[in-house]
Amino acid sequence: MATAVVSSTLSVPNRDSVASEPPVPPREVVARDKPNDSGGSILVSWERSADDGGGRESVTEYRIFRSTPGGTFESIGSARKGVEEFADVQTIDGTEYLYVVRAFDGVSLSPPSTSEVVVSSAQWFHTGRTNILVGGVVLSFFVLWFIRKAKRGEELYIRPIAGLEAVDEAVGRATEMGRPIMYIPGIMDMDNIQTIASMVILGRVARKAAEYETPLLVPTSRSIVMSAAQETVKEAYLDAGRPDAYDSDKIMYLTDDQFGYAAGVDGLMLREKPATIFYMGCFYAESLILAETGHSTGAIQIAGTAMPSQLPFFVTACDYTLIGEELFAASAYLSKEPLLLGSLKGQDWGKAIFIALLVGGIVLVSLGFTRIIEWLATG
Amino acid sequence: MQRQIPLVITFLAGTVMIMQYFIPHWPFSALQQLFNRWYLVIAVFAMILGIGNLVKVHWQRLYRRKSGWWYSVVLLLALGVMGIAGIGGGIERGTFFYYLYWNMYIPMSSTMFALLAFFVASASYRAFRARTTEASLLLGAAILVMLGRVPLGNYLWDKFPLVGEWIMDYPNMAGQRAIMIGIALGVVSTSLRIILGIERTYLAGK
Amino acid sequence: MSETVGIWIAALLTLGIFSFLYKDNPLYKFCEHLFVGISLGYYIAYYYHNGVIPKLYFPLVRQHNYFYIIPAFLGFLYFSRFVRKYAYLSRWPMAFVLGAGSGLSVPAIIQARIIRQMQGTMIDTITFSSIVMVVGVLATLSYFFFSREHKGFLKIASGMGIVYIMVGFGATFGYTVMARVSLLIGRAQFLLKDWLGIID
Repeated sequence: MATAVVSSTLSVPNRDSVASEPPVPPREVVARDKPNDSGGSILVSWERSADDGGGRESVTEYRIFRSTPGGTFESIGSARKGVEEFADVQTIDGTEYLYVVRAFDGVSLSPPSTSEVVVSSAQWFHTGRTNILVGGVVLSFFVLWFIRKAKRGEELYIRPIAGLEAVDEAVGRATEMGRPIMYIPGIMDMDNIQTIASMVILGRVARKAAEYETPLLVPTSRSIVMSAAQETVKEAYLDAGRPDAYDSDKIMYLTDDQFGYAAGVDGLMLREKPATIFYMGCFYAESLILAETGHSTGAIQIAGTAMPSQLPFFVTACDYTLIGEELFAASAYLSKEPLLLGSLKGQDWGKAIFIALLVGGIVLVSLGFTRIIEWLATG
Repeated sequence: MQRQIPLVITFLAGTVMIMQYFIPHWPFSALQQLFNRWYLVIAVFAMILGIGNLVKVHWQRLYRRKSGWWYSVVLLLALGVMGIAGIGGGIERGTFFYYLYWNMYIPMSSTMFALLAFFVASASYRAFRARTTEASLLLGAAILVMLGRVPLGNYLWDKFPLVGEWIMDYPNMAGQRAIMIGIALGVVSTSLRIILGIERTYLAGK
Repeated sequence: MSETVGIWIAALLTLGIFSFLYKDNPLYKFCEHLFVGISLGYYIAYYYHNGVIPKLYFPLVRQHNYFYIIPAFLGFLYFSRFVRKYAYLSRWPMAFVLGAGSGLSVPAIIQARIIRQMQGTMIDTITFSSIVMVVGVLATLSYFFFSREHKGFLKIASGMGIVYIMVGFGATFGYTVMARVSLLIGRAQFLLKDWLGIID
């Protein structure tokens, strides 16, 4: 352990400190590199001074000093009494440091307690997140395994989902009544998975609308979503063999503002009087405003969202609601494409494993093996 | 070839973003912030397109004197005045922009939000005529929780708040948990399909 | 003076939006178009001052951080859709947003919605409530099994799952009702107190 000169960069108050002795120093000062970070940080910990929470109870705070081996110590911060840790977030990776912690009682500092030499560094893997990596890998394995199996022509079953069974009927209804279909893709942007799922479903709905030559209105709340929707619908019309029937003006941007969008869509609903309304994607409080207005026009409404807080409102106001995961199953369901059905089966296995782990975990925990809960906690 | 490049971009972007969650070392540590910045820039460009679309639609309505064209005038004027006032004059307190914000935007926004009270009432009224067992369950739970949160409920029976809370904390929590787990599985599966290019209808057709 | 004018404007617009409840009428149509225009104008100004200037203009033009050319270029590609020959390029920025967005959500959602939920459901004490909870999670999960026909045991389990789901929805519904009503009270207070001065 290198000895270093402790420079008094602090002025000790000019009081009669001869009579009072300095507090007992903290013990076991340990300095280590902060784990699982991008570097530049060292954690200093110590055991409380005997005069903190015991003894003379004179300690008010701890002062932390840092130096390089052979250099002078500088104060870098303090910690309140009772605290036994300090994070130095301004280290340079690769440089050696020494730390000293001294207890302070308002008058004088305790003798120093010094740490070993330590170096900070960045880690390449976040060990606290191993459980997520494991979970992700297992899940991905199952999804990809069943996708592969489906590629080889294996028949995959999918249980009926009422909301999706009704899509054909809903589109047909609009065609018969000579009124348009309205598709509302939620109010979040393209980086949100629900919106992405919504675009995929839009493609399928647009395909049917193109085949029946029913007008399709898509008011969007985000410009990127507007572009994506236009691309999707255009491709769908192309696939259906009706490229000339595509009207890009029917896919419009209104405003990014949540309630401005709701006001605009409400007005659109009352004026265009769609026979069928789809709500697919990520919604917030405006969900009920839209759904109730849609209901008042007499349209048949099919909703799907993975926002648990909005599901109750869609359920009460719409004819059919896709609950959470069913939204993500829609694309597989509507296309019946084997690859997509395969991924659904992988998801099911994910649920099965979750159930098995849960039941197993509960059994273990009730028998006293609480380690498993710790492993689930993430750093 | 031109269909392949977007898929490659998606694959690279997706893989790198997944990796950054597990690798604290630079440059991965800076990636999430980088994405947020880049995304903002891209969104601004996209917004120009979006505004262009809105203006075009309403300008055409105005130009061709389609029914209700005067409302389009209102919209375009409001957009222009607000946007220019904000960009040119600043958006702090005391500016003209702020005056419009405070006396027009805020009242209309709050009122839209407040409309929900009426809509909740009309939705509840419909739910009262519950015809299926599921609807009755929903209604029953709603009533119990509501009574638990209102002074009237407490007055009728002092155990209502506890009942309401218990329903929120146990059966409700259980259902929500399972729904969330299902959603997570769906998200992972969909993301995998997007990143690996298995799901591509929106991007490259078919 | 301008404050009184302001309050009157606010009050009339409030009533205009409320008139929607009656039926579609010219006042509401006016308010609706005004609102869409104003809200978009607001966002434009907001993104300009909080987005474009500090996060694009400053780094690129003032600090000469040319790295920002990449997202600016990607964004610019959106405009390629107007030129038929290069229209396919407009897919690139979309591909980036989609890929990065998907990638970011995967680990985060595994942590928050799977691991954390498992943690919360691993009960350590057996009470009536905790059994209700665990049974609920298992039953509701079984409702979401897609690749199997819901027959026999699975049918019973998923039937129970629907019960839990509906009870949960009802609870959420009842819980938010009060919050919505208080919003209405807030607006009513504005109209009666700030505008008309009927109540204090």
